[in-house]
Amino acid sequence: MYDDGRKKRGRGMAAGWYGIARTAAIDRAGAWAELDDGGTAKVVTGVTEIGEGILTVLAQIAAEEMGIRPEDVTIGDNDTARAPEAAHAGATRQTYMIGNAVALAAREARNRLVSVIAEKWQVPAESIQTRNGEMWAPGTNLRLTMEEAVAQCKGVGVVPVGSASFTADHTALDPVDGSGRPWQAYVFGAQVAEVEVDTATGEVQVLGIWAAHDVGRAINPRGVEGQIEGAVVMGVGQALMEDYQLDDQGRTTTPGFAKYILPTALDVPQVTSFIVEDPDPLSPLGAKGIGEPAMVQTAPAILNAIYDAIGVRITTLPATPERVLEALASKREKAA
Amino acid sequence: MPKITIQTTVNGRSVSKDVDPSLRLLDFLREELYLTGAKEGCGAGECGTCSVFVDGVLMKSCLMPAGKAQGTTIETVEGLAERNRLTVLQQAFHKTGASQCGYCIPGMVMAATSCLRGNPHASLDEIKEHLGGNICRCTGYSKIFEAVELARDVLNGSVPATALQEDAFKDSFLGANVRRLDAPSKVTGALKYAGDMTMPGMLHLQVLRSPHAHARIVSLDTSEAERMPGVEAVVTSADVPGVDGYGVFIHDQPVLARGKVRFVGDAVAAIAAETVAQARDALEKIKVVYEELPAVFDAEEAMKPGAPLVHEGNTDNICQHIPIRKGNIEDGFAKADVILEETFRTQRVEHAYLEPEAGLAYVEPDGTVTIHSPSQNITHHRHMLAHILAMPINKVRMIMSPVGGGFGGKEDMIYQGILALAAIKSRRPVRYVFTREESILVSAKRHPFVMRLRMGLTKDGRITATHMHSISDGGAYALSTPGVMRKHCILGAGPYEIDNVRIDAYGIYTNNTPSGAFRTFGAMQSLFATESMMDMAAEKLGLDPFEIRRINAMRDGAVTHTQQKLGSVSMLQVLDTLEKGSRWQPGVPNGRGATRDDLGGPGTRAPCTLGVRLRDTSDVAAE
Repeated sequence: MYDDGRKKRGRGMAAGWYGIARTAAIDRAGAWAELDDGGTAKVVTGVTEIGEGILTVLAQIAAEEMGIRPEDVTIGDNDTARAPEAAHAGATRQTYMIGNAVALAAREARNRLVSVIAEKWQVPAESIQTRNGEMWAPGTNLRLTMEEAVAQCKGVGVVPVGSASFTADHTALDPVDGSGRPWQAYVFGAQVAEVEVDTATGEVQVLGIWAAHDVGRAINPRGVEGQIEGAVVMGVGQALMEDYQLDDQGRTTTPGFAKYILPTALDVPQVTSFIVEDPDPLSPLGAKGIGEPAMVQTAPAILNAIYDAIGVRITTLPATPERVLEALASKREKAA
Repeated sequence: MPKITIQTTVNGRSVSKDVDPSLRLLDFLREELYLTGAKEGCGAGECGTCSVFVDGVLMKSCLMPAGKAQGTTIETVEGLAERNRLTVLQQAFHKTGASQCGYCIPGMVMAATSCLRGNPHASLDEIKEHLGGNICRCTGYSKIFEAVELARDVLNGSVPATALQEDAFKDSFLGANVRRLDAPSKVTGALKYAGDMTMPGMLHLQVLRSPHAHARIVSLDTSEAERMPGVEAVVTSADVPGVDGYGVFIHDQPVLARGKVRFVGDAVAAIAAETVAQARDALEKIKVVYEELPAVFDAEEAMKPGAPLVHEGNTDNICQHIPIRKGNIEDGFAKADVILEETFRTQRVEHAYLEPEAGLAYVEPDGTVTIHSPSQNITHHRHMLAHILAMPINKVRMIMSPVGGGFGGKEDMIYQGILALAAIKSRRPVRYVFTREESILVSAKRHPFVMRLRMGLTKDGRITATHMHSISDGGAYALSTPGVMRKHCILGAGPYEIDNVRIDAYGIYTNNTPSGAFRTFGAMQSLFATESMMDMAAEKLGLDPFEIRRINAMRDGAVTHTQQKLGSVSMLQVLDTLEKGSRWQPGVPNGRGATRDDLGGPGTRAPCTLGVRLRDTSDVAAE
């Protein structure tokens, strides 16, 4: 059924690993937080969304720490003159670096508020719970909305603010043997690819990808899946079609999307994600990252699947129909 | 040129405007009506970001002259829902997380709306075909398909509208599928990217770029260009007041060419004028005399003695060499029962974020220079720009506008310096929006690598030594090359505990398009080589691919290739989860025979048979 003589299917897999945040250099991020009127919050940090969903993740983290709801959090996020340094939006560092900075800043703001109310209530601050817009002392009938709590806190002259810096302790590589501690958090992942190869045209279709990735702790599982699915399709492009080319004078021959071929809706495999959670012990959240790590396995898994299907090893990317046909012809030649 | 009057109905309102007849419908909507939901992703009808309805038909507005809109009824993404509301489809995008950077999303929403208006029971294959003209670079399309199927089912009544609601909150917001807070602004086209922003008195910037890969600039005469209509400022490297150089690790790239050009597309001079057309016309009046220099287009050639040197002061074109040494590979290979050797090659890859580079710069009343751009590193850009402008660091303000896709490609400060100089010189706000062609020509690409890999293993599958030698074409400027070589090496031998490792990577200057940061930063290339060879070894040793990886996998407390002792290592857990979840059937690669039953099961799609199905449903049979 899956080998009609012309079209052949196969499966391949690949494993991979990745370090989280800046490489071989100490990394840091800062954040400010304030529990605001109406039981809302302001969180300020110097980096914004590049599409991965960081603003939502930060709102979830701040809401969880402060006992309010994500939609109550306003994030001031993108301005070197108005926000603390959070450095770059890259290196799979946003959730890890900025997420933890926001968690710590939000925790400080929340604790400032709680200590004022604890004094009013005459209960230990540690006993007070905050969640989903409410504050209460278990075992008592003491309960306030966060809106009331903020108002009472301000009534005694305290603005509940917090700030924090989060550090990832990385060292440079030795210039001779490369030894060093480039990251403190690592993630591991692996993917299986199933392909169909048309041996007459050389065309490869990726029909399924199964992707298992450790993310430490998934703050937003749907967001993690979105990162995996996007990375996989970028990997499909790199494995099979994308190729920026230059002529012998350094001029591009792929100047637009008519010549530079990208995966479209019709090229994408079905993607099944498995989220593995091995919490990071060195950070308050335990979360690591997924933006980049999810694309290291896709291309080799596909190329290994092509080998499984037709017994040819493509060692040059991308595995275009021309390269597949050439490899098949050379295999036939060797066999003859 | 005489103007033409265009009368149309746009989102239910009558519009009458006198416009330049050369305007495209996309320009008419964006510039005359301030409807910036339709984006220009490519300007050639290939990406779909500019999709709108004209008389109910989905059109790519970048391909349609505005004059053709005369008398039509136009619907844009802004007009799909009432203010502060979302259509069912937009709600479904919100629910499923179908928007990431959001730049393709207005066009995607329009194409999906067209699909469901045409067939409220569209199958997944039909949905995919309808979205086939819309490129998304972030999502992998999966959540978009899910959103369109959900909207379809709600609209045709097969599932209740409650399916559009956010998942219920349980004990914690951490681990919950909280809907993206930015999604409503993206699915309605309300979010303003840098290229959507305008300011009163704003000028438009265009850049003259080198046609040569390597040339000395003998003379640069801008006098005629300065006198052209609409021109307010001409900027060259002579306008840089401070230390002229930027780069992620090495500041080897001038804001504008300084004495020589190093690749086709290198920025030479810039003009800020009242309109884009005036700026382009004036560029043609800049007189540059070049003396072409011998150029080098191959990394291995560039390393040979006597090769043309891309940067003065660099004597061998080596931008960065990273060595990794662990144990002794000679000992390791001596212990091996089999030794495999292969050369792997990877290509240059374009980031192809749907949002081309764009920025808006102005000088604030207190003298602060402010730049809005989709920069992935405003912290570092402000440092570099303060040096370039010779200004205190707190007088340089970088604002990170919503990034319409980055993937590492927007870590490079390739135009923000030019914008700052033009705003200072013209005393006006200045905007610069790249065309797709300009973006592809000058932005960094994924580093291409040639990797010679040698791996020794015992007959029971244990790796005794890995030796990788990698050469990568870094192109004309360093950008992220040093960091990419580093990550390539650190991770290159894979998630395996190996006693003897030697890896070298060389990032090389050439006169090609610069290579730079790109999602995985050099690691996918080295791991492509290693993971391909793991399967070659599995076949040679008669092992299953999972098994050979399990034999070598790092475990808790493993020592990495850079001699770092790890704590908890999840590799085995990941392999077990995947093997089970994918219904993996063990066996040797290409040796599982005809009896296997792991293919074509759950988790796979049907092969694409677009052409066949279209033929079946066309009028071919009637001919």
